[in-house]
Amino acid sequence: MTGARLAGSPALRLVGRRLLAAIVVLWGVTFLTFAVMSALPNDTAQVLLGLHATPAQVAELNKALGLNRPFPVRYWHWLVGLLHGNLGTDLEGASVNSQLAQHLPVTLELLAYALIGSLLLAVIVAVLAARKPNSLADRFSLGVSMLGLSAAPYAFAIFLIVIFAVKLNWFPVQSNSLGSGTLLSFFQQGTLPAASLGFPLFAIYTRLLRADLVEQLQREDYIVTAKAKGLAPWRVLIGHALRNSVFSLITVVGLNLGTLIGAAAIIEALFSVPGIGAELLTAIGNKDVPLIEGVVLVFALVTVLGNLAADLAYAVLDPRIRYGRSTS
Amino acid sequence: MAAPRPEAALPGTGYLPPGPPLLPPVGVSSRRLASQRLGRALRLWIPAGIVLLILATCFLLPQVTSLPSPTNGNILDAGDPPFSPGHWLGTDPVGVDVFSQLVYGGQVAFEIGFGVTGIGIAVGSLLGVTAGYFGGWVDAILSRVLDILIAFPALVLALAIAEGLGPSEVHVIWALSAFSIPAFGRLTRGATLVVRDLPFMVAARLAGTRGWRVIARHVLPNIMPGIVTFSLLGIGVVIILEGALDYLGEGIPPPTASWGAMIASGQTVLTAQPEYVLIPSIVLVIVVAALNMLGDALRERWGVR
Repeated sequence: MTGARLAGSPALRLVGRRLLAAIVVLWGVTFLTFAVMSALPNDTAQVLLGLHATPAQVAELNKALGLNRPFPVRYWHWLVGLLHGNLGTDLEGASVNSQLAQHLPVTLELLAYALIGSLLLAVIVAVLAARKPNSLADRFSLGVSMLGLSAAPYAFAIFLIVIFAVKLNWFPVQSNSLGSGTLLSFFQQGTLPAASLGFPLFAIYTRLLRADLVEQLQREDYIVTAKAKGLAPWRVLIGHALRNSVFSLITVVGLNLGTLIGAAAIIEALFSVPGIGAELLTAIGNKDVPLIEGVVLVFALVTVLGNLAADLAYAVLDPRIRYGRSTS
Repeated sequence: MAAPRPEAALPGTGYLPPGPPLLPPVGVSSRRLASQRLGRALRLWIPAGIVLLILATCFLLPQVTSLPSPTNGNILDAGDPPFSPGHWLGTDPVGVDVFSQLVYGGQVAFEIGFGVTGIGIAVGSLLGVTAGYFGGWVDAILSRVLDILIAFPALVLALAIAEGLGPSEVHVIWALSAFSIPAFGRLTRGATLVVRDLPFMVAARLAGTRGWRVIARHVLPNIMPGIVTFSLLGIGVVIILEGALDYLGEGIPPPTASWGAMIASGQTVLTAQPEYVLIPSIVLVIVVAALNMLGDALRERWGVR
């Protein structure tokens, strides 16, 4: 594709529009977080100083932390800092940047493990199930994915711990050095948390992909053509139907990235994973606004980038969008 | 092989015209048809029955019989196993009846599930239908608002509100609405876009019907099946999220019973007495699975995707 054609291509315009919207969304999220945290009663200084602090001491610490300044001023300072790449310091005096640098990679590795694992399994199971709708394999996959959709991740995690860590002793109960060891120790410590995070994802992906595959196979003209050409059923399923169904899967993966933070926080706390989710729970407990802001910003960024990447993948992979034809 | 649908009007949007499902291929025996019909009926009525039964147990049973207290117990009865006299699911480590905790915890879970979903339907649909129907800059602004709410982690808001205002049922409902409002908004916007330009909608507009009247008379009834099936899924998700807040100790304030708190407190005696975690977890799975299956069955019936 030549440069001139690319510049004027509808796909690129779409991406540009999306990028602009993404910036607006990111700004909105930071503003909303700041507004919510300021609207709530703030006793940070009191909490830090303990119950016996005098009002004068509290007022002094509030001044030192800058908490007595009005909300717009504080937000403006934070925003200016952000544009300089500085997310401020948390209540314990450490810089939020260094906190993120320390804990974020652990969470991202864990999420990547859960995502890739659940996607791979979901594709395999969905293809096996869609090959013969209402067969035994199909019913089994529907049952398992219904369980995954309905089980609370924290309860599921507790059962994994009981069975695989306590009874069978295959994995450690705590994953507190996740992200700082060898690859083997990563899999040892990361498998149970990743399974707890990945099971609901696997359920969502499998249900979606299976339904989409079955529908493609039954309804679409190109499938009829492929079958009429005499292609083997497997090749029709994987080369044609799966290739088309992957698009809706990509969208859902992108959309789901944002909801993962909530699940990650609980699961990390449960397994004592030193990740950013567990850090976020502590920060909320301490009303550590700079740290909360930093983490929320990063995860909003992940969500927005996830959606953007899904759109981009569409634009690159789907010829109907690449050549600027409307899909609906 | 199925014949192509004659009126598959909108390829790529997933829209199916309302009406009876595809006719079965010729040559299917009547017995097979009857068993298919039975299967369809069972798929709807079994989960519906389970949901109704659990709702009745949670809300009606305490009215007609007197259950043991869900918050206070006799320490002498502590740690009774299931099927003990007077406590048919046993008692917890401080002697509180497990079944009563399940019943009253279930009341809270359903109240929050219905409350959060109701707020999501009311506010989210208003935003979503308005954005989808009017389009243009209205859509651009409302869609960004929904995007912001989606990118904003609802759990953070819920925890922050619980920390700042103190945990309570009403606070939990408002906090979790930050999750349901954008979900319903996005759903109804998409559904409205699909039905907006259908022939009957154009006809209504050409007949001079005003915008809000078209929405009330034509848009809403057509997107309602999608809203109902999605809200059944939504109630299940909310019940799980509410349990998560309780589990973290930021949901329903103790001593009020809640399923999440039961799981959290059972975790401390997990290896010795796994039933304290097992029982509430299994109830949670059954409730959410029944809601999900009911949603699936209605979706199949109404041809919603």
